[in-house]
Amino acid sequence: MTMPLLGRMALALSLSAAAFAPVSASAATLSLWARASSSNAAQHMVDLWNESHDDKVELTTIPDNQMVTKLATSVQAGDVPDLISFDLIFMPDFMKAGFLTDLTATLGADPNQEKVAQAFKDLATYDGKLFGTGFTPDVSILLYNKDLFTAAGLDPEKPPTTIAELQDYAAKIHATDPDNISGYYFSGSCGGCNIFTQAPMMWGSGATLLPAGPDTPVMEGPGVVEVLTMLKDMWDAGIIPESAESDTGANFTATFETGTVGMQGSGGFAISSLKANHPEMNFGIAPLPGIKDGDQSSFVGGDVIAIPTGAKNPDLATSFITWSLTDEAQLEGLAKNLILPVRTDLADNQYFQAEPRYITTAEAVAIGQTPYAFHFNDMVNADQSPWLTMIQTAVFDGDVEGAIEGARETMLEIAAD
Amino acid sequence: MASIRNRHLGLIYVAPALIFVIAFVLYPLGQLVYLSLTDTSLLGGGEWVGLENYEKAFADKSFWRALWFTVKYTVVITPILMGLGFALALLTSNNSPLRLFTRATIFLPVVIGLGTSSLLWYWLLDQQVGLFNKILLDLHLVEEMPVWFTKADPALAAVIISVTWKVIGFGMILFVAAIQSINSEVLEAAIIDGANYWQRVWKIIIPLSMRTLLLATLISAIGSMLAFDQFYIMTGGNPRGQTFTSVYWIYQNSFISFKLGYGAALSIILTAIILFFSAIQVFLSNRSGTE
Repeated sequence: MTMPLLGRMALALSLSAAAFAPVSASAATLSLWARASSSNAAQHMVDLWNESHDDKVELTTIPDNQMVTKLATSVQAGDVPDLISFDLIFMPDFMKAGFLTDLTATLGADPNQEKVAQAFKDLATYDGKLFGTGFTPDVSILLYNKDLFTAAGLDPEKPPTTIAELQDYAAKIHATDPDNISGYYFSGSCGGCNIFTQAPMMWGSGATLLPAGPDTPVMEGPGVVEVLTMLKDMWDAGIIPESAESDTGANFTATFETGTVGMQGSGGFAISSLKANHPEMNFGIAPLPGIKDGDQSSFVGGDVIAIPTGAKNPDLATSFITWSLTDEAQLEGLAKNLILPVRTDLADNQYFQAEPRYITTAEAVAIGQTPYAFHFNDMVNADQSPWLTMIQTAVFDGDVEGAIEGARETMLEIAAD
Repeated sequence: MASIRNRHLGLIYVAPALIFVIAFVLYPLGQLVYLSLTDTSLLGGGEWVGLENYEKAFADKSFWRALWFTVKYTVVITPILMGLGFALALLTSNNSPLRLFTRATIFLPVVIGLGTSSLLWYWLLDQQVGLFNKILLDLHLVEEMPVWFTKADPALAAVIISVTWKVIGFGMILFVAAIQSINSEVLEAAIIDGANYWQRVWKIIIPLSMRTLLLATLISAIGSMLAFDQFYIMTGGNPRGQTFTSVYWIYQNSFISFKLGYGAALSIILTAIILFFSAIQVFLSNRSGTE
C-alpha cells in the first residue's frame, strides 16, 4: 500500500514534532500575574524556579492600577491565572470577596511561613484562614542626604531618632540656603505615598489609624496630632518646598534626586535606584522616627502571592508558593538581586553584607506594620480620600484638629458601607 | 414584489454595520443602563436597586462640581483650540516648503499619546525640576519658580497649555484642508474687487469653512467634556478635588471605590448631557448650512 504524499509529509512532521516534545509529558506551565512595580522581583523568582523545575512558570505583568479590575473580571469570567502577586493592602478586600483560595492547610504546616514578616501574615488572614503569603516586600524608611547634613553641621551618621529631631534637623538644613535647600519633602497630593511614609511615624507612637470595621478606633493616639503638627510647622516655616502640595506622587523620588532635599520618607527601592542613577549622591537610610526614641516603625508594603479561586493547577501553584519561602528562593531569587526577603530571619545575609543600607531596610520589615482595612482604596488611595484630605487640611490649611475629626467621620462612613 | 426584494437586499447590505452597532454600541449601552440600576461592585454583588444610584448622583455635590469644572474647561479650551488652530491654518495653508515644514512641526505632537504629553508637561512645569519654569525665570518673566498645581486656576491653565500644544495641530490640519478646498477663483475675484486680506478672511474664507469649523468645534467640545488623562496625570484632581472632571469622578467611583453600578449611573447622566448639547450644536450647524 502506497501512502499518499500529503500523508507521508504529515507523518514526517508529527514524528519530528514528537522528537522535540518536552521530556516530561506531564510538565505544566503555570501562569503568574504580577503588578508592574514588582514584576522585576517576580521575574527573578520565576527565572530561578524555571531553572530547576520541569514545570514552568510564565510571568505576565499587569499595570498596577489595572490589577483589581483584571482579577475581579477574571474571577467572574472563570478564567484566572494560577498565581497572582499583588499589593498586599488589597488582601482584606479580595479575601472577603472570595477571590482567593484557602491555603491554611499548606502554609499553616510550613515552618518557613512562621518566619515570614508578621505584617504579611496578618494581612493574609481572614476569618481565621490563611489565603496567601509575602512574595516581594518593600518597606518605608527615612532617606537623608549626608552632604546636606554635613553642611548643616549635623553628624551624617546620626539620623533623627524622634520627630522633634527630624524637625530640628530639617530646619538646620533649610537654613544653610533657604532659597535652594529644603529640609524635608513629601508628596502632598498622594494618599498612597503618605500612608507609606507618614503613617509609620504615627503608629510608631502607638496610634491606630484606619478602622478595621465600623466600630473600631480610627485616627486615635497622640502620634496623629504630633506628626501632622510637625508637618504643618515645617510647611509654615518654608522648610518643605511649595511644590510638595501638588505632587501626586510623580515626583516622589525625583525631588530627592536633585540633591536639594535634606530628608524624605521613601522606600527600600530608593537604594538601588539612587545607586544606579546618582552614584555621586551620598545618602543614608534610617528607620522612620516616632515621638520618642525607640518608637521607630515602618510600613511593610510590596506584594503577596496567592491562588485565585478557580485556578486550574492549584497543587502546583501551592508548590511554587511554598518553594518561594525556602532559603534558596529567598536568598538566590531575592537577596542576591538586592531585593528584600520576606523572611525576617534572612534579613542579615551574605548578599547584603557589602551594603549595610539593605540590612537597615530588611530589619525594618520586622518592625513594620500594614493597616488591615477593607475599602483601603477609598480610605487612602483615592484622590479625595479622607486620609489625603486630612493631611492636606492639616498641613496646608493649618486645621489639624478639624482635619482629624473630618477623616474620622468619613472613614467610619466608608467602613460601614 | 420587487420593492420587497430590494428592501431585503438593502437589509443584507446594511447588516454588517447593523450587527457591529448592535454588538459594540447598543448591547454595551444596554448593559450600562442595567448596571446603573444595580449596586454592582468590582468585588462582586449586583442587587437590583432601581433608581437609587440616580438619586444618589443628583445629590452628589462632588459629581456636579466636577461637571461644572468640565464645562468650564470646555468653554475655555474650545475657543483657544479653534481660534488658534484656524489662525495657524491661515498662516500655513499655502504649500510653500517653509509652511509645509511649519505645519508638520505643529502637527507632530498630535501623534504623541495624551498620557505621555501630559507627563512631559507635568515635569516641564514642575517647580523643582521643570525646564519650562527655568526658562521663564531666566527670561525674567517671573521672579521665582511658579507652582502651577497648588491652585485650581493655574492648574487649569497648565493643563490647557499642555493640551493646546498637543492637539492644536489636528484642528489646524482640518482647517488647512477646508481653506485649500475653497475655489481659488473666488478669492482671486475678491482680490480684483479690491478686498483686502482681512476682508477675504471674514467674508469668504470663514463662511466657506463654516461647516468644518462647526464640526471641529463639536468634536473638540465632546473631547473636552470627556477629558480624563491630562487631569489624572497632571493634577490628580487637586487641589482638594477642585480639578476633577466628570469622567475622572466616574473613574474614581468605578475603579478606586469599586462602585461599578454608581459609576454606570454617572456615565449615563454624562452621556445624556453631552447628547443634549451635541444635538443642539448639530441643529445649529445644519441651520447654518441651510442658510
